[in-house]
Amino acid sequence: MQLLVQVIFVLIAAEIVGAAVMVVTAKNIVHAALWLIASFCGVGALYLLLEAEFLAVVQVLVYVGAISILMLFAIMLTRHVTGKGAETSLYQRWWVGLIVAAVLFAAVIAPTVLAHPWETATAAPALPGETGQPAAMAGIVDLGRAFVEEYLLPFEIAAVLLLVGLVGAIVIAFEERAARRHIPTLAEEVAHRRQPE
Amino acid sequence: MYEVIDHVLNVQMGLGVPGWVIHLVRHVTVAGILLVIAPLQMLLLTYLERRIIARMQDRVGPNRVGPEGLFQPVADGIKMFTKEDIVPTASDRWVHLLAPCVVVAPVFLMVSVVPWGPELVPIDMNLGLLFFFAVSSVSGAGLLMAGWGSNNKFSLLGGMRAAAQMVAYEIPAVLSILAIVIVTGTLSLVKILNVQGGLFTSLNDVSSVPNLGLGWFVFTPVGFLAFLCFFISALAEGERTPFDIPEADSEIVAGYMTEYSGMKFGLFYLAQYVLNFLLCAITAILFFGGWQGPGVEWLHSRGVTASPDGSVVFTILANVLGLAYFLAKTYFFFFVMVWLRGAFPRLRIDQLLDFCWKFLIPLTLVNVVSATLWAIAIQWGSPQGLAFLEGMGEWARWGMAFALTLVINAAAYIGLVRVNETSGNQTTVAEDRQDRSMKTATLS
Repeated sequence: MQLLVQVIFVLIAAEIVGAAVMVVTAKNIVHAALWLIASFCGVGALYLLLEAEFLAVVQVLVYVGAISILMLFAIMLTRHVTGKGAETSLYQRWWVGLIVAAVLFAAVIAPTVLAHPWETATAAPALPGETGQPAAMAGIVDLGRAFVEEYLLPFEIAAVLLLVGLVGAIVIAFEERAARRHIPTLAEEVAHRRQPE
Repeated sequence: MYEVIDHVLNVQMGLGVPGWVIHLVRHVTVAGILLVIAPLQMLLLTYLERRIIARMQDRVGPNRVGPEGLFQPVADGIKMFTKEDIVPTASDRWVHLLAPCVVVAPVFLMVSVVPWGPELVPIDMNLGLLFFFAVSSVSGAGLLMAGWGSNNKFSLLGGMRAAAQMVAYEIPAVLSILAIVIVTGTLSLVKILNVQGGLFTSLNDVSSVPNLGLGWFVFTPVGFLAFLCFFISALAEGERTPFDIPEADSEIVAGYMTEYSGMKFGLFYLAQYVLNFLLCAITAILFFGGWQGPGVEWLHSRGVTASPDGSVVFTILANVLGLAYFLAKTYFFFFVMVWLRGAFPRLRIDQLLDFCWKFLIPLTLVNVVSATLWAIAIQWGSPQGLAFLEGMGEWARWGMAFALTLVINAAAYIGLVRVNETSGNQTTVAEDRQDRSMKTATLS
């Protein structure tokens, strides 16, 4: 069973990394966005493999269902829609980007790797029996409690950040009614044409 | 189910297979049944829709193939299969090819969590409701792929409109469901259904009520408002008239489906009708008790407690009766969808988005607040510092919650209608036209 899980993990991980590589190498920007969706789906599958079903579902709901669709939407609104001429090429000093990305990734992952009590030699946990239900997971209720009790401050800061983004988007997109080009109605146009006579 | 397969394989056939094989057989069987039933629903629904809409428009509708034209969908299916599959040369081959799959697959995943009867549950997920909506949001990506991959301006317009509509109306849909989740305290569809026993009040609110399977959430102010908002959003999610803007035939041919022919077009159609069926089903489950109805619970309890011979009969009867209730409710909502199609013209895209942002979302937000008050009035007690609530009787608490939420919801509804009316009067025709040209310019 452990072997099977590992094989599945390798397959999913290969899918995620492969899709992510395609995101940065795809010449067509819409294709890049679609590969990103594939990568997000792979991450969702990985969560499912870790038995974190809530995270998996939320990953699909937020990243695949909302964020990547909005990304596609934005690309189609701003870019040349056919995707031609949107050739991406490697920036000359690409290694700077690589170093920055590596350092940032290390800053996130290193504390976890160093501080986590790795249990390497323990036996595989008992599989849920054929008759009994699997043991209860840290469910939505626990997560919700953690958000409003232990992690209240980060939660609220994230909420304010999202609100700022929302307000900013409205400010950018908003246009004063008075500043718009006036489009005459049919009645106004008729009146305008009759005036010279 | 597990025991039955175990009995057949290990006792009767004497194979001695391990447990995981039995689980595998069980899930494959259930998946197979669902994969057959879902397209059958689509065939039936297309036939029903064509006949009902014909009746409303004073026509006859398809009545030649089979008795009363019942086999018309089969003929249509054969036609779809034998048509030539045309891929435009300028299209993006792979995106064009994959788009129908990306649209269809989520819809079939959604089927897997819908409970059809007391024991006819394909998968009882703790997160069933969330899973349903998470997966449904994936098909938006498929619609954009179809619109973009076809390399046709009508397709692209249709795809953009579809995605905008789906993303916009997901918010009121999920917010109205959130009210039910707050009241029940669970995301499992099975548990939400089990609570809806009782008579007029659900078992969650008043436990002493006789269990007649009529404690539907639509009878509470919170549930009623949530039902209205959810059903309107479901119309938009399922691209039904008056919200069929993405495939407005009089404007943009067939929207994102324009360049598809043969079975690929058929797949879009399949996805759409199965999605409509599921949205009707989830409306029935969340607000109208799904399989709950008079007699089901009684039969089911007899099935569990009675003698071994009688129990199977009673269990089967309970499931059949529950399935009948469930399908009757679901088909009724589909009839309402067709009815609306016969009665209303199509909205413009700016009217669609205005209605969502200025009316539905504020209303559902107020409804979430009333749902919270309902949950406080019914469930809280001394642990939360509200010991006086425990002193009141169950009925008094229920009555208080009912009156409070009724006042809040009615006030919110009337207030929003007034606000939208006055703001509608203030904008002149010229401004309205400018508004429209602005918004269509951004969406086209």
